[in-house]
Amino acid sequence: MLALVTRPRYEETTNYLFYWAGELLREAKERKIPVIDLDKEKARRTVVESYLTKKSPDVVIINGHGNETCVVGQDGEQLLIAGQNTHLMKGRRVYIRACRAGRQLGPDIIRNGAAGFVGYVQDFIFPYDKDSVQRPLDDEYAKPNLECSNQVAISLLKGHSADEAHQEGVRAFRKKLDALMTSNSRNSAVATCLIWNMMSQVAM
Amino acid sequence: MPNNNSTEITPEVIDLVVARLEALPPNVAMSVGDKGSFDLAELIESVKACDEVGKQIIEMQLLYLRSLKELTPAE
Repeated sequence: MLALVTRPRYEETTNYLFYWAGELLREAKERKIPVIDLDKEKARRTVVESYLTKKSPDVVIINGHGNETCVVGQDGEQLLIAGQNTHLMKGRRVYIRACRAGRQLGPDIIRNGAAGFVGYVQDFIFPYDKDSVQRPLDDEYAKPNLECSNQVAISLLKGHSADEAHQEGVRAFRKKLDALMTSNSRNSAVATCLIWNMMSQVAM
Repeated sequence: MPNNNSTEITPEVIDLVVARLEALPPNVAMSVGDKGSFDLAELIESVKACDEVGKQIIEMQLLYLRSLKELTPAE
């Protein structure tokens, strides 16, 4: 088992994704799973394509901004584009934590022979605490959504299929929702996003 | 899956969503995908203007409120 993780970092959203994807590296290390960590300046198209070709990771976890047809890396550089380089995902289990990749990019990845895909058909939205942006892992507003979505990637790292990982992510969202469904205003902000992201998550 | 076109956005719906946002602690901000990060004042402004971000926030809030109806009480 070999995993590849991209985690650009150049503004607030990617800063959060960078740190929470870092938790995946910690999880992989505990499980003795080797990971190619393409962080910050390494989250570039040529670098990603090179590692996909030469190292052939089993699991690919992409964090960053995206849209229906592509997902981006450092400084918004396009990494993976429908119809251009999705063939590089052949045989791999892929999780893309980015906006709307489940609409066209995911299906294109599957058409090009990927073993499975998990992503989101809507924007991935999460609340955060403006007073905690320097400590993303301690941000109690951001934590539930990023922790639950991390569960998808952890499941893939455990060797599960995309469908199993999707189900495990949904279970994590539901469990967190059950704990948060109160009138507390902070919980309301978090739960609103949890439901949105859970309903937006798809597997192929 | 969430559907951005599923609800007519009436002035009453906008008022409801604004009221829910105003009830949040002032330190809350929201990352709305590739559209950027927004503090509460910006979110409320977007909802009132019913722009792209505002419509998304409205749909998200309505999805949450609808889901409350589906909750089953603990036995």
